[in-house]
Amino acid sequence: MKLLAIDTSSLTATVALLDGDRLIGEYTLNHKMNHSQKLMPMIEELLNSCNTKPGEIDVFAVSLGPGSFTGLRIGIATMAAMAQALDKNVVGVPTLEALAYNLFNIKGLICPIIDAQKDLVYTALYQWTDGNMVEIMEQQVIKIDKLISMLKEKSEKIFFIGDALERFSSNLEDGLGQQFAVPPFKFLIPSASSVAGVARIKLEKGIKTDIIPIYMRKSEAEVQYEKRMKGSE
Amino acid sequence: MSCINVSNQKELEEIAEKLGKLVNSGDVICMVGDLGAGKTTFIQALAIGLGVKDYVTSPTFTLINEYEGRIPLYHFDVYRINHIDEMENLGYEEYFYGDGVCAIEWADLIKDILPYDYLWIEIKITGAESRQICFIGTNDYYREIAGELLEK
Repeated sequence: MKLLAIDTSSLTATVALLDGDRLIGEYTLNHKMNHSQKLMPMIEELLNSCNTKPGEIDVFAVSLGPGSFTGLRIGIATMAAMAQALDKNVVGVPTLEALAYNLFNIKGLICPIIDAQKDLVYTALYQWTDGNMVEIMEQQVIKIDKLISMLKEKSEKIFFIGDALERFSSNLEDGLGQQFAVPPFKFLIPSASSVAGVARIKLEKGIKTDIIPIYMRKSEAEVQYEKRMKGSE
Repeated sequence: MSCINVSNQKELEEIAEKLGKLVNSGDVICMVGDLGAGKTTFIQALAIGLGVKDYVTSPTFTLINEYEGRIPLYHFDVYRINHIDEMENLGYEEYFYGDGVCAIEWADLIKDILPYDYLWIEIKITGAESRQICFIGTNDYYREIAGELLEK
């Protein structure tokens, strides 16, 4: 079974091809956000280098967010279009789960944090138990200070990954002290092979997902706008 | 905030052109000021400094124009934005976090979605020809650029 997975939910664009249990190719750029120009050539390059025709792909997997609205739309539209043209299935993977899967079977807690603008992050909390990754705090959008005070109540070491780390690492370190841990750089950004890994688990367990973006919240401007519209009714 | 007074359009254009020579890939320039203050004039001169050959016009109805210069120039005019959805449909993140320079007129209308760091430029009308131009840089990089613009 061949599986093509992508993640364009952040600045990172990442594409991976799985053949059965083997990762046969992965291509990641973590430079500028121009997925609309880079994603298709990346997919083409990866497939050509792996001597694989699009028609040979059995399943597509895509990171559903939360994250960049533009990035999510590009990624999901691309995978949905390829799958529809080839009459194949798409598996959707929440971005936070895919990020946490970067730290397979690690001891302690995993806290992916994705930039949600201002002092907000998209986050969740994961823990590995008997080889399964368990979500022990639901996916949510939360103020960084509130997240820190919630995490203080835990006793375990907490590994942070994700693009909001750059902005908040000093807040987290000050707030959490010895609990705060950051893995090496290769684990910090989305990786399409992790998306593929989570997608395979969902396939094996027969978990179906809707292929719609997880925006997780309305932007502040949308909320204001809706308030205004309601007020004028 | 640091400000400079200019007595005519030519002086305003000189500052803008200088800014066009200083900016780098990924920079975001926010322009605010009343109608007729000279936001578009400022960006036209900035485009010359960037080496843009095309004639720059205000993208009031198209929301964005793209120009090829030393680095790409993405000229936004968000005056007519009613809903932040319109920015999302435009794919604004690829511009804001991309490889060109963004110059955004009426940036105060989309403050919620601006990147963390930018150069904020306010043009105030002080007379028929004269203007006061004020700069706020959110970080050292932009403050340094603002400092260079104030040097005569």
